[in-house]
Amino acid sequence: MGTILVIGEIQNGKLREATFELVAFARQVAPGLGAEVKSLVIGHGAQALADDLAKKGGGEVLLADHELLANYGVDAYNRAVRAAVEKTKPDVVLFSNTPSGWDLAPRVAAALDAGFVSDAFKIEAEGGKPVFTRRVFNGKLDARLSVSALPVVATVQPGATSPHAGSEPGSVTRLDVAISTGDLKAKFVKIQTAEAKGVDLTKADIIVSGGRSLGGTEKFMEIIKPLADALGGAMGASRPVVDSGWLPHEYQVGSSGQTVTPKLYVAVGISGAIQHLVGMKNSNYIVAINKDPDAPIFEVANLGVVGDLFEIAPALTKAVKDAKGL
Amino acid sequence: MKLMVCLKQVPHQDARLDVRSDGTWIQEDNIKFEINSYDTFALEEALRVKDANGGSPEVVVVSIGPERVTQALRTALGMGADRAVHVKDADADGVDALGAAKILAAVAKAESPDVVFMGLMSDDGNFAAVGPMLAELLGVPHATSVVKVSMDAAITVERELEAGALEVVELSKPALLAVQTGLNQVRYASLKGIMAAKKKPIETKSLADLGLAGQVGAASRRVKIEKVYPPPKGTGAELLKGSTDEVVGKVLGKIKELGLL
Ligand SMILES: Cc1cc2nc3c(=O)[nH]c(=O)nc-3n(C[C@H](O)[C@H](O)[C@H](O)COP(=O)(O)OP(=O)(O)OC[C@H]3O[C@@H](n4cnc5c(N)ncnc54)[C@H](O)[C@@H]3O)c2cc1C
Ligand SMILES: Nc1ncnc2c1ncn2[C@@H]1O[C@H](COP(=O)(O)O)[C@@H](O)[C@H]1O
Repeated sequence: MGTILVIGEIQNGKLREATFELVAFARQVAPGLGAEVKSLVIGHGAQALADDLAKKGGGEVLLADHELLANYGVDAYNRAVRAAVEKTKPDVVLFSNTPSGWDLAPRVAAALDAGFVSDAFKIEAEGGKPVFTRRVFNGKLDARLSVSALPVVATVQPGATSPHAGSEPGSVTRLDVAISTGDLKAKFVKIQTAEAKGVDLTKADIIVSGGRSLGGTEKFMEIIKPLADALGGAMGASRPVVDSGWLPHEYQVGSSGQTVTPKLYVAVGISGAIQHLVGMKNSNYIVAINKDPDAPIFEVANLGVVGDLFEIAPALTKAVKDAKGL
Repeated sequence: MKLMVCLKQVPHQDARLDVRSDGTWIQEDNIKFEINSYDTFALEEALRVKDANGGSPEVVVVSIGPERVTQALRTALGMGADRAVHVKDADADGVDALGAAKILAAVAKAESPDVVFMGLMSDDGNFAAVGPMLAELLGVPHATSVVKVSMDAAITVERELEAGALEVVELSKPALLAVQTGLNQVRYASLKGIMAAKKKPIETKSLADLGLAGQVGAASRRVKIEKVYPPPKGTGAELLKGSTDEVVGKVLGKIKELGLL
């Protein structure tokens, strides 16, 4: 019988929800792959977390516990995962697509000379092998990928499924990982938490966000700001707007910006890459303006306008002003 | 000091994405290509290290791809890179991430750079895999999602985590950095730069030249794309098409209904 190895992840002293989502995916496909689920917990002083994972579907849980594993570091974590792979000989290794998952998983795949799939949001079993679905072209297309040889290493998009809820009997085994400070070519120094923002979008009732298609600060201020002002709302932006220096970082909405839940979110010329969607999809009501009827933003929008933003947004601004008698 | 920058040429971000007839990728004929957005930031960062060190570090740009890739390499040379290596081989078209990493590893072994700069991910495949894979094959430390670089005897970088948090990591050289977009403001190639670039060398290499004949390529792909297709539409979205007046009227009506006007 084969093995699906779930790589658990600790954040702020707890196992991430994404770890239990991996367990859910693993348990869904395990019968079709004729495999059993095993897991790995990497950390320091993590016995209780490993016990918890074992009780919540992680199966036989390996615990790599070492003071040099207290924080994520690519060399030490690589050793821990490789030791677990050595021991369990998995057909499928699953990581969460988080900053440490995407940092380490491809290295493990290269070391094993194995296939690699990143940021999958669906896993199915077909003919005894896993089939993955993921986004390509920054969310504009979906791709279905099959695997010609096992093992395969994959990262899975956080939030793509619900965390495993059942409880199965499991066990915890300690895994010895030999590491010393001298082995570390990349050293963890510290984590800096986000500084307080001058602009707090999380408190805005209405947000009008613009994307890369605006083309520059000038157009952004000409199209987005007046609409936000007319609605009495705040301005927001997708990442390329901030990367290009059109607006400061505090306006960025998304996984590496702010997570917002306004009463109304208007996305203007934003394609709807997953990293943007996670920051705004829980808004109460979403209006999207985009010239591409296949843009993924329409998946989360309540109301979609297919058309040219340079025509529609100013017309909407005028209509709002007229309605308010401004 | 030598710096190597890995550049991928990808379909222009505004190019039409039509699925080609076999359904497994987009139709790439007659569309515009550009340097992968992440890689422009990687190149800029390498050029800044060069500038900060009196112009002495050599910046070598490397790209795997068909003939059209020379355009991307010329642009990079115009921006200030010193030399280019173009890996051109029918078997190198359509390599998967591990195949690309193996090819780049062969180039890196010949060049032995102090630092390899890459993009975090490609705008077409979105694998975000080649960087860490290449680091593993070379046995060097790496960091992904790099948003700040300070270079001394060692390299100190800031990695972007989630929701604005940053991780500070120190790497010994040689090392590989896979950069996130926005870590600098990317320069344009100046006219003088473009003229100078015409004299700079682009070396073309085949897989045989790199000792990789028959070892990478379509046949050794471990993961196969079965099909690509537009994402399914959400169930909730009401899509409005029509005259500007009509659609704006409907949006306004909705905003009123929400009690936000
Ligand atoms: C680790 C990581 C973290 C990230 N974090 C974030 C984040 O926090 N926030 C974020 O936003 N992104 C983030 N990204 C980037 C993300 O993947 C996308 O690249 C980005 O969201 C795309 O921005 P965009 O929609 O403005 O641009 P594009 O994807 O280029 O979309 C432009 C859109 O404008 C439309 N358009 C063009 N012209 C017109 C017109 N005239 N009228 C109407 N529509 C038009 C096009 O159809 C297209 O849909 C992150 C990426 C990574 C890898
Ligand atoms: N064909 C290629 N030629 C040169 N560099 C590449 C190529 N493919 C990927 N890369 C590099 O690897 C990075 C990550 O790409 P990927 O893993 O494909 O998402 C890119 O940003 C490039 O720096």
